[in-house]
Order: sequence, then structure tokens, then C-alpha cells
Amino acid sequence: MSDILEVDSVSKSFGGVRAVDGASFRIGAPGIYGLIGPNGAGKTTLFDVICGRQFADSGSVRLAGVRIDRLRVHQRVRLGLARTFQECRVLEEETCLDNVLFAAQDKNLGREMIQTFGRSEAYRRTAMAEAERLLDLVNLGNLQAEPAGNLSYGQRRLLEIVSSLIVKPRLLLLDEPASGINPTLLNMLRDFLLRMFAERQIVVVIVEHNMEFIMSLASHILVMHQGRVLEEGPPAAVQTSQRVIDAYLG
Amino acid sequence: MPASGIRFAVTALLEQIVNGMMMGAIYVLVALGMVLIFGVMEVLNFAHGVLFMAGGYLCDVFVVHATGSYPLAVVLTMVTLAIVGMALERTVFRRLRVNLPMQIVASLGLILIAENGAVLLFGPSALQLSVPSVRSLVRVGELSFTVQHFIIVGATVVSIGALHVFLHHTRFGTALRATSQNAEAARVIGIDSASIYRITFAVACALAGLGGALLGPLFLISPQMGDLPLLKGLTAIVLGGMASIPGAIVGGFAIGIVEAVSTLFIATEYRDMVVFTVLIAILLMRPWGLFSVRVRGDA
Amino acid sequence: MLPARTAPLLSGALFAAALYLVPVPFAGYPYVLFALTLTLCYAIPAMALNLLLGYTGLVSLGHMGFAGVGAYVTAVLMKHGIASFAPSIAAGTLAAGFVGALVGVPCLRLRSHFFIIVTLAVGMLLFLLFNNLDWLTGGAAGLPGIPRPRPLDLGFAVVDPRRPVGIYLLAATVFVLVFVIQYALVRSDFGRSLAAIRQDETLAASRGVDVFAHKLTIFAISAAIAGLGGGLQVVFLRAAAPQSFGLLEDINLVLIVIVGGAGSLFGPSLGALLFVALPEALRVADAFRMVLFGAALVALALFAPRGLWGLAAAAARKLRSDESAVARVGHS
Repeated sequence: MSDILEVDSVSKSFGGVRAVDGASFRIGAPGIYGLIGPNGAGKTTLFDVICGRQFADSGSVRLAGVRIDRLRVHQRVRLGLARTFQECRVLEEETCLDNVLFAAQDKNLGREMIQTFGRSEAYRRTAMAEAERLLDLVNLGNLQAEPAGNLSYGQRRLLEIVSSLIVKPRLLLLDEPASGINPTLLNMLRDFLLRMFAERQIVVVIVEHNMEFIMSLASHILVMHQGRVLEEGPPAAVQTSQRVIDAYLG
Repeated sequence: MPASGIRFAVTALLEQIVNGMMMGAIYVLVALGMVLIFGVMEVLNFAHGVLFMAGGYLCDVFVVHATGSYPLAVVLTMVTLAIVGMALERTVFRRLRVNLPMQIVASLGLILIAENGAVLLFGPSALQLSVPSVRSLVRVGELSFTVQHFIIVGATVVSIGALHVFLHHTRFGTALRATSQNAEAARVIGIDSASIYRITFAVACALAGLGGALLGPLFLISPQMGDLPLLKGLTAIVLGGMASIPGAIVGGFAIGIVEAVSTLFIATEYRDMVVFTVLIAILLMRPWGLFSVRVRGDA
Repeated sequence: MLPARTAPLLSGALFAAALYLVPVPFAGYPYVLFALTLTLCYAIPAMALNLLLGYTGLVSLGHMGFAGVGAYVTAVLMKHGIASFAPSIAAGTLAAGFVGALVGVPCLRLRSHFFIIVTLAVGMLLFLLFNNLDWLTGGAAGLPGIPRPRPLDLGFAVVDPRRPVGIYLLAATVFVLVFVIQYALVRSDFGRSLAAIRQDETLAASRGVDVFAHKLTIFAISAAIAGLGGGLQVVFLRAAAPQSFGLLEDINLVLIVIVGGAGSLFGPSLGALLFVALPEALRVADAFRMVLFGAALVALALFAPRGLWGLAAAAARKLRSDESAVARVGHS
């Protein structure tokens, strides 16, 4: 069985700056993985390349054995990839429930056009129960009917993550989910992610700066430095590695 | 090809090049105003064409009813339009800086007000303004042009020079350039963005008014006289890169000359189509313009 | 949560019924019927533009150009007796949709500022074609003498489009058809994807929406509907003229959609009523009316971007929340 995610010698430059410089790693088993590194290490760029927001200059990315690095964003999503954004994006005018249900909607254009005339709402009914359950788990149950624009920043983050999870993605990429979140919500987020992992055995890769959060959540850490993967291993090993400490301090 | 044939072709070409320089100068005046407003405020001002038109009408009013002197009327027109520009900035465009669709809507509203206002005030048919510089001709070999042709090009060159001096050798101009590069940083170091925006609009509208005042006597003054210059000025700034002043200048002259020369090969009624086709082609192939560098994050 | 299916169907049926019953009191007033028929003709391209502008967030400044394509195709086919009404207007609709798709493929990948400018240029180019291709379009003089459709025998009545009531009913039928299509598209998964694109394209793509394909589809549909409206208009007015499809008409259409209320189902129709029927009724001087409309646009841009329908909806919401606030306070 092939690895869930295989990143092979990916490079990406902007102008003269090599943001990602021959980064490689593999993720085979389900788990929660952390991607850390000092500023400018190339984490978000690598994320963007994996998701399709940027195309790599060279190298390849494979999702469950399928090469995805030349596919457009929505094509990768249909293969089972999901991501959240550092700046936290939700559909502000839609209710929380509709935000989640939209993520679950079949967005194949042909099938959408058929639905326009067939007017079937079956998928919404089937997805409804799961959507409500997930929203309850993050304490957004009573805000179901509230437009997402009215939520606090932390609540929006949780909504964004819940929306990403309803489609049961093969690979979920979270871009700095802890930034700007207060400690209470942070604990809720950690518990929620652990619970989702327990339920579904998904693969989650999290870019984070909040060390306490990521070390207490991830089973495996990848450290990036100057555009490539410097070291990887369990949190304890990484935290005591001299090379990693030098990278952060140097 | 017989010698007389070659001479005829060369003469025709020269004639169109001069015409093209003249119209190009007009387009440059419109384009400069638009590029200033877009570069400093990121506002796409579609109402620029009617400001041009207002310049034409105001100049006529000043010449006929106030002073008999055409040069003085031109100056008064520029001043008036600068004031109008500041008023527009304060009341309409400042609030809409971040809202592109509503900028369009407001600009369209202004176009309706201005074009129909002109019809109400001056009637639907065009006005004719006769000034000495249009009546007197200049002979260049076998061709003759009006003095106005050269005044237009001259005035544009002077305006470009004045703008350059203003932007690069005055404190206010430097502050304006700083704001166009990075509004946040400019504000942090104490530049008052409100007065920058006001002056930008004032200068831009004065230039548009100058264009209308210069072109009016040469052709006719009508409510729709700004429509095509607006679109061609827009083409010029797209051609040159949306926030580049040198680009706008080269773009404006290029369009004027290409347009004029094209009439030697295709029927005149298709002349305007040439420009729009060029515009569409550029947008599809190099939307960041011929002189800019593609920036990360662009389409 | 979605509203129950029955409520919209019922109000829709009532609305359609009201539309068809209009000739009853006004049968003896051909001028009123004229104004209303013209309104319906403008409401159709307005609904088309609303699909783009209001629901998908695409600002298309040259949309009457597509109406013109439909208009001229219909006009040429009918004037020269090549085809009767239904096939002619169908051809016009398809032609407009095809041109829309052709324009959309290269242009829709442009970012917002550039997309707006290119639609303006396309609109101008189309107008110049209508105005200058004398041998096909009649040039600046246009194509007069377009015949009305032949009378239709429905069994219980005969509808004669050569008379004011008949052409009104024909226009009303086309209007209802377009309204139903608009409703079906908007209140569907496709409509939800469009709304997502309008609110946040990047997010929509990351949820699996093929943004370009959706934009192209709605752009072509919108162009086709505009073409349908154009074809209806030239049949109604018995003539096609390029001025009907030029820059000022493009602006007029945007005006109708924005002031009426972009992003709402009834907004475009309300806008058409306001900017076509009302002026005909008031018979205010043309230019003065347009100055007022221009002022309305500016005021709207500054204070009420959701248009009149949006204002009404916001007022209704405020009323409801005020009522519930009062009710809460009332309980002690």
C-alpha cells in the first residue's frame, strides 16, 4: 500500500529567493503530524505546493500514489485533500450549518446542473446529522443558523476545520490553526482533533508556531529549515535535537 | 514603384504620424490622470471621460462668456476642474477606495449625471468653438496642420515635464510617490493620506480638463466627446502597466499613432475597433502591461 | 435551513397569475401596455446580468452587447422571412450564448480590474460591429420592419402578438420562463457554488469547486438569456437599432440591476419597473430623468450597495428584530 503523502525533492522559488529547496518526506501511517521550523523555513510555501495554490518548480507530490503536483486545486480536493488557511476562510454570508453542508456538497458541474432540474436535496439530509454532530462537538451547535461573519475569530477557525472534516478527507492540512486562539478554545481544538483522529484514522499535517500546542498533539514532527526537511521524529526527540535547536537560534 | 507613388505614400504616412502624435497627446493627458488615481488610490475612475468633456464645455463657456482669451480660458478650466476633482474625491471616491464594484457604480452614475447634465445645459447637438490657433495653419512640406495640433503636443509635453518635476523634486510629490508604493508605510511615517488623495485627484482632473479644452476647438464639443478618450486612455494605461506613468505616456502616444496609421490600411469606421481589439489582445496576453514586471500573485 | 418547498411555489404562481391578468384592466390603454411590455423586455437582460453580478460577483460592463447579438440574429432571420418567431429567437439566444462562451474562455481567467475593462471593451467592440457592418446589420440606421409573430390559437382564445395585449402576453410568458430559470439556477447546488465563488474564490476552489468552469457556464447562460431579451425587444419594437446596445445602454442595465437590488430574485424586475415603466408613466424629460438616475446610482454606491431590494430586506429584518426585542423586554 502506497504512502498517503509523498513529497519528493520539491523546489519553489519566488524571484531570486528559493523558498523551498529540495524538500522530501513521506507519510505512510495515519496520525497527526506537525510541520515546524523557524520563520522563512518554507513551511507555508510547501503547504501551498502540496495543495495546489502554487506549482512546484521541480519535484513531485503524490497523494496515495497518485501524482498531483500538476493538478489544479479543485482536482486535488476531489482526490481527498483538504486544507485550512492561515488567514482563516469561511463563507461569511452563509450560516454555520450551510458552511459545513456546502463542504459536503457534490460540486461536479455536470451533477450540479442535473440537480438544478432534478432538485434533489438528498445529500443535504444525509449530511445534516453529521454536520450537526460535528458542530456540537466544537460548541457551535447553538450557532448553527448564525451567519459565519458574526462569529468570533476562534469560532470561525473551528468552523473552518469542521467544514474540512465533513468530507472525510484522506489528508487534512491545517495552516497555523492555533494562531489567534485563546487557551480555552485551544484545548477544545486539541481534544476535537484527537477525537477525530480516534474516530477516523485520518492523516493530519499541521503547520504551527505554537510549540506547546503542536508538541502535545502530534505523534510525529517534521522540522523544516532553509527550504528543506532538516529532521523528523517523535516530539521528544525533536525537541532535544541539537541541530533543531541550532536552526531556531542560528 | 514610381517616385511620385513613394512620395505620396511617405507623405500620407507622415501626415498620419503627426495626427497620431496629436491624438496620442490627448490620450496621454487622459491616461496620466487615470494612472495617477489608480497608482495612488487604487481607484479605477471611469468618470474620467466626462471630466474631459466638462473641460471642453467649461473652456467654451469661459471663452464666450467670461474672457475672450483662449489661453486664459484653458487655465481657468484646469483650475475649476482641479476644484471639482477635489470635491469628487472628498464626497464620492474616498469612501469607495476598497470597494471596486461600487467604484464602477458610482463612476457610472457620474457619467449619467454629467452627460445628461450637459444635454440639459447646452442641448444635445455639438458646440463649435472657434479659436485663432485652429484657424491658422502651419505648412510642413505638402501637408498642412493647424497650430492647435502643435499646441496640443506642446502642452502635453510641458505637462509631462511639470508632473515629473512635481513628483520627483518637491516634498509633496515625493510623499505622493511614497503613498502610491505603500500607503500603510507612508501613513506610519506621518504622511497625511487625505491631502495626498485630494491633490492626486486635483492634478488628475486638471489634466483631463486640459485635454478637453485643447481638443474641443479642434473637433466638436459634445456630451459624448469623452467616451472614446476614456476607453483609449484606459487602453493606454493597461498597455503601459496600470500604475506606471512612463507606461501611460508611451501607451497613449503609441495608441494615437497606431490608430492614425491604421486608417491608411482599413476603412475609417473600423478605426476605433482596432484600439479595442488591441486592448482585448493585451489583456488576454500580458495584462500586467508591456513595461511592468509580472508580480507574484498576479493571474 | 431552506424554506419549505411550497411557499415559493405558491407565491410564484400568484405572481405569474397577476402578471397575466394585467391586460384585463388595461386593455383599453395601449400606452400602459407598451410601457409594461418594454419593462419586461428590459427585465430579462437585467435578470441575466444579475446572475453574473449579483450572484457570482462578476462585473460585466458590456452585457447589452450580448443582447444585441440575440437581437440582430433574430431580426435578420425574421425580417427576411428565413424563419418564424420561435426558431428565430431560439437561434438568437443560442448565438448570444455561443458568443458569450467564446468571450468567456479567454477573459474569465483575468483578475477583477482587468476582467471589468475587457468586458467593457468587448461590449464596445460588439456595438461597433452592429453600427458599422452595414450590409448585415443595416449600420447606424438599423433594421426596421421586423414582423410580429403570427397569431396563436390556444383553443379557448386567440393570442395576436400584432396587437398590444398579444405582444404583452408573449413578453410575459418569456419573462416567466426566464424567472423560473433564474430561480432554478440560484436555489440549487450550482447556485450555492456560485455564491461561494462570489464570497471567496480561493475558499471555493479549496472546497472542490472548479471555479473557471462554473464562471464560464454562468457567463454563457447569462449571455444567452440577454440574447433572448434582445430578440424579444426587437420583435416588440419592430426594429433593431445599434444605439439600443451601446455604452449608455450597458450603463443603464447595470443601473437597473444595482438599484433594483443585485443578488435578489426580484431586484432586477423592480429596477426595470423603476427605470423603464415609471419614466414612461411620468413622462419626465429624458435628460433630466437620467441625471436623477445618475444621482441615485452614486447615492446607492455610497450608502446602499445592496440596492433598493436590499434596503427593503434590511428594513424588514430590522423590523422583525426590533419586534422580538420589544417582545423580550415585554416579558417581565
